[in-house]
Amino acid sequence: MSETVRQLPEEQLPVSPSTLERYRILQKAGGLVAPLLTVVLAFLISGVVVLLTTGSVVDTAKTYKGIFDGTGLDWFFHVGSYQIGVPFTSARVWFPWNTNDISSQAAANLEQTLLLWTALVLVGLAVAFAFRCGLFNIGGQGQYLAGSIAAVLVATELPHVVDLPGVLLILVSVLGGMLAGAALAGIAGILKGTVGAHEVITTIMLNWIVIWVGSYLFDVGGPLQTKAAGAAGAVPASTDIPDKAQIHVFWGDPLFQGLDVGFFVAIASLVVYYLTLNRTTLGYEVRAVGHNPEAARYGGIGVARNYFLAMAIAGTFAGLAGALDLLGWKFREDITDIQSSSIGFIGIAVALLGRNTAIGVGLAALLFAALQTGTASRSLDPSIFPPELASSLAVIIQGLVVLFVGADVIILLALGWLRRRRPQKAATAT
Amino acid sequence: MSRLPRGGRAIAWAGVLTGVLAGLIALPPIEIRSAAAPVVVGLAALTVGIGSWIRGERRIGAYAVATGVLGLVIGYLATRSSVDKLDAVVVWGALFAAMLRYATPLAFASLGGLFSERSGVVNIGLEGMMLTGAFFTVWGADDTGTWTLGLAIGIGAGGLMGLLHAFFSVSLRADQIVGGTAINFLALGLTTYLFVKLYGSQGTPSNISTIPAVHLSFLGHGFVGDVFGRLDLLIWVAIALIFVVWIVVFKTPIGLRIRACGEHPRAADTVGINVYAVRYGAVVLSGMLAAAGGAFLSLGFNGSFTPNMTAGRGFIALAALIFGNWRPFGAAAACLLFGFASALGVALQTYSLSISTLFTALPYVITLIAVAGVIGRSIPPAAVGRPYVKQ
Amino acid sequence: MSEAVPVLELRGITKEFPGILANDHVDFDLRRGEVHALLGENGAGKSTLMNVLYGLYRPDEGEIRIGGKPVVFHSSKDAIEHGIGMVHQHFMLIPVMTVAENIVLGDEPSENGVLLDYGAARGRVRELSRSFGFAIDPDALVQDITVGQQQRVEILKALYRRADILVLDEPTAVLTPQEAGELFEILRTLSREGLSIIFISHKLNEVLEIADRITVLRRGKLVDTLPAEGATEAGLARLMVGREVLLRVEKTAATPGEPLLKVVDLHVRDERGIEKVRGVSFEAHAGEIVGLAGVDGNGQTELIDALAGLKRPEAGRVELAGRDVTRDSVRAHFDDGFGHIPQDRQRHGLVLEFSIAENVALHEFRTAPDSRLGWLHPRTLIERARRLIREFDVRGGGPETHAGALSGGNQQKVILAREIDRDPRVLVAGQPTRGLDVGAIEFVHRRLVEERGEGRAILLVSLELDEILSLSDRILVLYEGEIVGEFPPTVSEEELGLAMTGGMHAEHAA
Repeated sequence: MSETVRQLPEEQLPVSPSTLERYRILQKAGGLVAPLLTVVLAFLISGVVVLLTTGSVVDTAKTYKGIFDGTGLDWFFHVGSYQIGVPFTSARVWFPWNTNDISSQAAANLEQTLLLWTALVLVGLAVAFAFRCGLFNIGGQGQYLAGSIAAVLVATELPHVVDLPGVLLILVSVLGGMLAGAALAGIAGILKGTVGAHEVITTIMLNWIVIWVGSYLFDVGGPLQTKAAGAAGAVPASTDIPDKAQIHVFWGDPLFQGLDVGFFVAIASLVVYYLTLNRTTLGYEVRAVGHNPEAARYGGIGVARNYFLAMAIAGTFAGLAGALDLLGWKFREDITDIQSSSIGFIGIAVALLGRNTAIGVGLAALLFAALQTGTASRSLDPSIFPPELASSLAVIIQGLVVLFVGADVIILLALGWLRRRRPQKAATAT
Repeated sequence: MSRLPRGGRAIAWAGVLTGVLAGLIALPPIEIRSAAAPVVVGLAALTVGIGSWIRGERRIGAYAVATGVLGLVIGYLATRSSVDKLDAVVVWGALFAAMLRYATPLAFASLGGLFSERSGVVNIGLEGMMLTGAFFTVWGADDTGTWTLGLAIGIGAGGLMGLLHAFFSVSLRADQIVGGTAINFLALGLTTYLFVKLYGSQGTPSNISTIPAVHLSFLGHGFVGDVFGRLDLLIWVAIALIFVVWIVVFKTPIGLRIRACGEHPRAADTVGINVYAVRYGAVVLSGMLAAAGGAFLSLGFNGSFTPNMTAGRGFIALAALIFGNWRPFGAAAACLLFGFASALGVALQTYSLSISTLFTALPYVITLIAVAGVIGRSIPPAAVGRPYVKQ
Repeated sequence: MSEAVPVLELRGITKEFPGILANDHVDFDLRRGEVHALLGENGAGKSTLMNVLYGLYRPDEGEIRIGGKPVVFHSSKDAIEHGIGMVHQHFMLIPVMTVAENIVLGDEPSENGVLLDYGAARGRVRELSRSFGFAIDPDALVQDITVGQQQRVEILKALYRRADILVLDEPTAVLTPQEAGELFEILRTLSREGLSIIFISHKLNEVLEIADRITVLRRGKLVDTLPAEGATEAGLARLMVGREVLLRVEKTAATPGEPLLKVVDLHVRDERGIEKVRGVSFEAHAGEIVGLAGVDGNGQTELIDALAGLKRPEAGRVELAGRDVTRDSVRAHFDDGFGHIPQDRQRHGLVLEFSIAENVALHEFRTAPDSRLGWLHPRTLIERARRLIREFDVRGGGPETHAGALSGGNQQKVILAREIDRDPRVLVAGQPTRGLDVGAIEFVHRRLVEERGEGRAILLVSLELDEILSLSDRILVLYEGEIVGEFPPTVSEEELGLAMTGGMHAEHAA
C-alpha cells in the first residue's frame, strides 16, 4: 500500500482571506482605479529617471510636455469655432473642433500614433486572448514578424503566378499573414496541450527562431533578398510589394506613413475579440480553461484543444498586425526591422494594463502608441532631454507599468493601511 | 546513479551512440568521403531507435531516432562538402573551447535560476538580470579601472534586480511570471538608457580592464590544450560553481530548507523556517549569479556592452534548468548542449555567412525541442510559481 | 483549577476573518499528562484555535499562558520553542524528501557547522522511533509510505523537537478504524510518558474513547468543558450542534431495477504508472445507492476518473445503460446520461470565477437552447440558473454571482443542481459532503435518496463510514484497487473496517 500526499498548501485553507479581499477590491474598482494608479505610478517613477538626467523639476515637466506634444494628441485640443460638412449634403454646421486641420505637424503625429495604435491593439489582443485561456503569450513579436514575412512573400510572389486585382491580392496577403501568425503560435499551443511545455519559453524561442530565419531570408546572400537595382548599399531587404498591394491610406500622405484602412480593421478586431470571448461557445470554453483547466476537463471541455485554439487565435491577431503594417506603410521587410522591432513586447504591456478586456486594450494601446510616437518624434528639446534616450525611457515606463500591474496588492496595502488607521483615529477621538 | 544501463535500455543507448557515430565518421579527423557510410550507420541507429520505441524504451528510443536522423544528415552533408571547408569549420579543439565560452553565461544564469525555482519562485527575469550584470560590470570596470570592482558592481546590480523581483513576487505576491517580464523590460530600458547616456554612439571604450584568462601552458597544444589551455577565469569559476551549488542545495541544512520552501512552504513554515526570508535570499542570489553570467558575456566574452546583448540567453538558461530537471549537473549538461549549438553556428561563418545566420537559430530550436521533449518527465518543485500567504 | 498550574491555558481567544468570527472569546486549559479533546463541527473554530496556539495566526484578542506565564507567539518557531508540537490534518510533509529529512527540517544536525549530517539525522530518527515502538525507515521517501506511517512521521517531528504538548488535528480522518486504534495506543503511551495531548475531532465515539476531558466548540464559541466520564454521544451531539441531530437518514427499502452501470474487470493506472485499480467489477442498478467504502488512496480517484472518461483504463469495460462507454470522452459520457459530483468541488466541480449561470451551463452550453451555431444565449443560461437556484435552495447570490463567492454548502448545491437537472441515469457522487456543515450534509443526503427514488443508479464514494452506512443500499469495499467485499447496510463498522484494511482479502465475502 502506498499513498501519495502531494497536496499543495493552498488547498488546505478554504479560500485565503487575502484572495477574497483582493477579488472584492477588483470588483469594486471596476478595473479602472488600479490601471490608472499603475500608470500614474509608472510615470512618477520614470520621472525620477528624467529628473536625474535633466537635473531640474521644470525640465522634467518640459520633457513630459515635449513627449506629449509629439504624440499628436494635442490635435484634439485645437478647439474653437469651426464648421463641418454634413455627410451627403452640401450643408455646413458649427463644430467645436478643427477637423480641417489635417495636414499639420500635430495631425501627422496623430496619424503616427493611430498607425501604431492599430498594430498595438492587435498584438495586445494576441496577448490578451491567450491570457484569457490562462496562457502567457510572449510570442507576439514572432507572430507579428511571421505575419509580415508571410504577407510580403504572398504580395511579392503571388503576382508572378496569377494576376489578382488589388483588393484580392491584399486580402490573400493579409490572410497569409494571419495564417502564419496562427501557425507559429499554434505550435506553442500544441506543445502546451500535449506535453505541457511552458508557453513562455516556447514562444520566446519561436520569437528568436523567426528573427534568425527571417534575417537569413532577407540578408545578404539570403534566398529572398531583393535583386532590384539601387538596393545595393542599403539595409538588406525584401523586394517591394507591388503598388496595388498597398492598403488604401485615408488620412495623410501614403508616402509618409499616412493612416491606412487597417485602422478600422483594428477597431473591428476589438469588437470581434469581445464577442468571441463573451458571446460564443468557443469563448466560454476558452475562459473556462483559463480560469480552471481542471474543472473544465471534469466538465468535458478539451483543455489541449482550447490551448491550441486560443494560441492560434492569438497568433492570428498578431499575424494580422504584421500583415497590415507591411501592406499599410512598410511595403518591404528589411532585416533591421526584423531584428530590432519590439512591438510584440509592447503588446504584453498593453494587454496587462488593459486587463485583457477589449476596451482596456483599446485604451492601453492608445497610451503606449502615444508614448512611442511622443518619444520618437522630434518634439523634444535636445538641450533639455537627449531625444536618443527617449525610446529607452518608453521601455522603462512599460516595464514599470507591467511591474505594478502585477502587484495590485500595492493598492490593497494602501487600503489596509487606511483601514488600520481609521479605528486608531476613532480610538484616540473618544 | 552510476549503475550501468542494462537490457533494452542499454540497446537503446547503443542506438544513440550509433547515431552520433553516423555524423562523426564523416567529420575530421576520420573524414570518410563515401556518402554511403553515414547513411548506413544513421539508418542502423534509426532502426535500433524505432525498435527500442516499440519495445517500450520510448524516451531513449526517441533520442536514438533523433540522433540517427541528425547524424545521417550531418554526415551526408559533410561528405558532400569539400575537405578544406570541413577542416576549417570542424576544429574540435576550437569548437569545444567555444562551447565552454558560450555555455558559461548560461550556466551562471541557470544555476542562479536553480536557487530561485527550488525555493518556489519562478524567475523569468533571469534575462533582465543578466543584462543588468552585463552593463554594470562594464560600467564598473570602466569607472573604477579594475575588472574585480566592475564584477562586484555588476553582481550587486543583479542582486538588486533580484531584490526587486523578490519584493514583488514574495512580499506583494504579484504573479511571478508577470513580475519577471517586468524585470526584463526594466533591465532593457535602464541599461539601454544608461548606455546611450554614458557612452552614446561610441560604444563602450575598448581599453576596459577585462577579466583575465587562465593560461595552462602545460596542457600543450593537443586537444586538451586547445580546449582548456586558455580559458577565461569566469569559465573556471562556473565549472567550480556547479559543484558548489550541488553541495549547497543537496548537502547542507540551507539547501534542505530552500528545497522545502519550494516543495511545501507551509510545511517549512510550521517548523519555524522563515519562508519569505529563504525566498528573498534565493531570488537575490539568483539575480547575482545571473548577473555574473551577464558579466562574463560583456566583460569576459566581448569586452564591451551592446544594448540587449543577452538576446534571450536568460530564457535558454531557464530552459536548461528545466531540461536538467532542476539539478546542477543536469542544467550544466544542458548548457553545454546549447553552448555547442552556438559554437557550431559561429564556426559555420567560415563556410557561409548566410548559412551561419540561419544556424544562429539552432540553440533556440534545440531549446524548443528540449523543452517539448523533456516535460512530463522532469518534475518541477511542487510549489513553484505560487506565492506563499503567511497567516 | 484546584490542582497544579495547567501546562497550557488559552484565555479569551478571539480571531476574526473577513465575515467570520472564527473564535469568540474561547477559554481552554490543558493539564499535564491528559488527553483533552476539542470537539466541534466543521467550521466550529477548532482549527483556527489551534493555529493561534501554534503561532500561525495572531489572535485579535486573548492570551496564551504556558505553565502559568503569558507568552506571545509570532510564528510557529516560538510555539515549537515552548514545547508545542502539532500534527496537522493535512500532513506538513514533503513527499519527495526522506523521512529523516522531513523530521530534522528546520533543526538540522550539522557537520562542522556547514554540511548537513544526514547520518546523525538518521540515527536520531531510528533512536526515537525505536523508543516509541514505531517501525519507520528513515531513508524511505515520504511519498512511498502509508498514510498511517506518515502520521507517525508527523508525531516524530514533534517528539524530535522535544514537544511536551502535542496537538493532533482530526488525526483519524485519513485512517481506518484499525489504524485509528493503533494511534490511540500510541497516544496513551505518550500521555503516560507525561505528554499533554490536545485531540481535535468531530467524531463522538473517538472522543469518548480516548479523551480524559472534552471541550465543545460551536460557531467559534466555547459551549462547555466536561470530563469524558459520564458523557454520552447523544449529549455531546446536542452540545456540538445545538439541537437534536438525525443520526440516520430516513429512507425506504430500495427497489433496484435494471443494471445501469456495469463495470467489468477494470484496470487503471495513475500518473506515475502504478496500477491503482486492479480488476474491479460491479454493477449499480436503477433505484439503488451503491456505497464504495475504503481508505483514501486505495484507487477511488482512479476508478471515478475511469468511469467518467477522465482517464483511459488499461483494460476492462464500463457500460452505461447497456452501452460500452469505456473509450468515450468525458463529454460523451455526460451526453449519454452520466452525472458526476467530483470529489474536490472547488478545483474540479466549479469554475469559481464563473457565475452560477455559467457554471450550471457547463454541460449544455454547446447545444440549443443555450447556444445556436456557436452563439451563446445568455438569457437562457440565466433563466435556467434562476430556476435551479429556487429548486435547490442555493443561498448567497443570484444567477450572476460568482460561484467562488458562495459558501461550500451552496457551491455543492450548484453542482448537484447542474448534474441532477440533466436527468442522468447514473450519478457518481465523490465525497459529496466533505467539509460541509450539518445543514448542507442533510440536504445533500436527502437529495441523493430522492434521486434514488427517481430511478437513478447512484454510486456513492466516501471516506466517511457513517455516510456510507446511512445512505447505501449495498456497500462495496475497495482495498488496494480491488473490491474485497460486498456488504448489506446492516454491517457493523468493525467488520467494514476490517475489510478496508485488507483483513477480508482472501474470503471475498458476499
